[in-house]
Amino acid sequence: MSGYMEITIDHEKCTVPFDCKQCLNVCRSAVFMVMPIKVARGKETDKKEPGTFQVFPFFIDKCTGCMDCVKICPVDALKVKHVKVA
Amino acid sequence: MGFKITSEMIDQWGGSFWYKNPENYGHRLYKLPEPGEKGGRPGGDEGHLFRMLANIIRLKNEGKMEEYLLEVNKLNQTFVESPANQVVPLQDTFDMIDAANGPLIAMMCLCRKMNRATEETSLWEYSCLGIGSAQLKWKRWPERYRGGVEYLTPSQAKEWMDYWDTRGMVHILMSEGIGAIAGLCNCDYPDCIAIRTRLGYGIDPMCVKAEYVAKIDYERCIGCGDCISRCQFGAMKNEITVKKANIDPYRCFGCGVCQRVCQQKAINLLPRRSFPALREEW
Repeated sequence: MSGYMEITIDHEKCTVPFDCKQCLNVCRSAVFMVMPIKVARGKETDKKEPGTFQVFPFFIDKCTGCMDCVKICPVDALKVKHVKVA
Repeated sequence: MGFKITSEMIDQWGGSFWYKNPENYGHRLYKLPEPGEKGGRPGGDEGHLFRMLANIIRLKNEGKMEEYLLEVNKLNQTFVESPANQVVPLQDTFDMIDAANGPLIAMMCLCRKMNRATEETSLWEYSCLGIGSAQLKWKRWPERYRGGVEYLTPSQAKEWMDYWDTRGMVHILMSEGIGAIAGLCNCDYPDCIAIRTRLGYGIDPMCVKAEYVAKIDYERCIGCGDCISRCQFGAMKNEITVKKANIDPYRCFGCGVCQRVCQQKAINLLPRRSFPALREEW
């Protein structure tokens, strides 16, 4: 039976990903991306202000399901599961 | 139906070594659009291209291969209207710095910022070189990057590129469309989104091969293997019993990173177009 990996991130719990950056750094496959979602023209976004950056799974096809990100997340915001396809 | 970069496309961007022509250095980026004229790059803003890429990766992940290939082709067609990025060996980056004849700035790499949340805050951490008059904007908006930017003279910029070359980085020129080269990046896998989208998903214009290709000199190579671990494109192997490094010329991007580390001077960068079978391998 084949399948694929699915990662979900609870953005209510994960509020300062660019400051925390633990999942971004621990991932051997560099699956995640972090981006500012509030941008003021001509100003750098404040990474310590909650809700200014968001992390999301991007290179998801490279996820192996090792669960390192789930284990390291300090706010328990990550879920990784293997979706089975018949 | 597979998409392929051709020499003809490169000729439309300005011919071989289009990046050595001062005309191609983004000076038009500094011009305000005329009323009614659409700014930005063809195919839409970066956010739009990013969403297309995210969708492509999702389709591949879920094994929807037919849809995946259609979307890859669509994104390639969009990109090819504007040459995005091309690999350039160190010596040619020096020619670019001279040809740019405008401001040069060292700044943080945006790919690493997104992919690894890396914060580069000083000259020898910065890994991206902004080129051309568009870079004057940093003078106007000094707060835009908290990490700051550093303006360099051409000789400082060359010394700084050389430093990254010794560390094994691939140099890739970034452009915002025809005639609009805007930067030179120092790249590796996986944190360079250009290399990654080409190798992983076949978005070829994101990282076009250099005008060169590397070839091993069998008289000189002793098979030490120092070069092999440097290749960011997976083009090199160690041929154990023959005691030589092996380069797959169809996978080689001509970056010259292997050449730099070779103590035997056994690697030559030769013009890609001088090989009949490689002339259309971009």
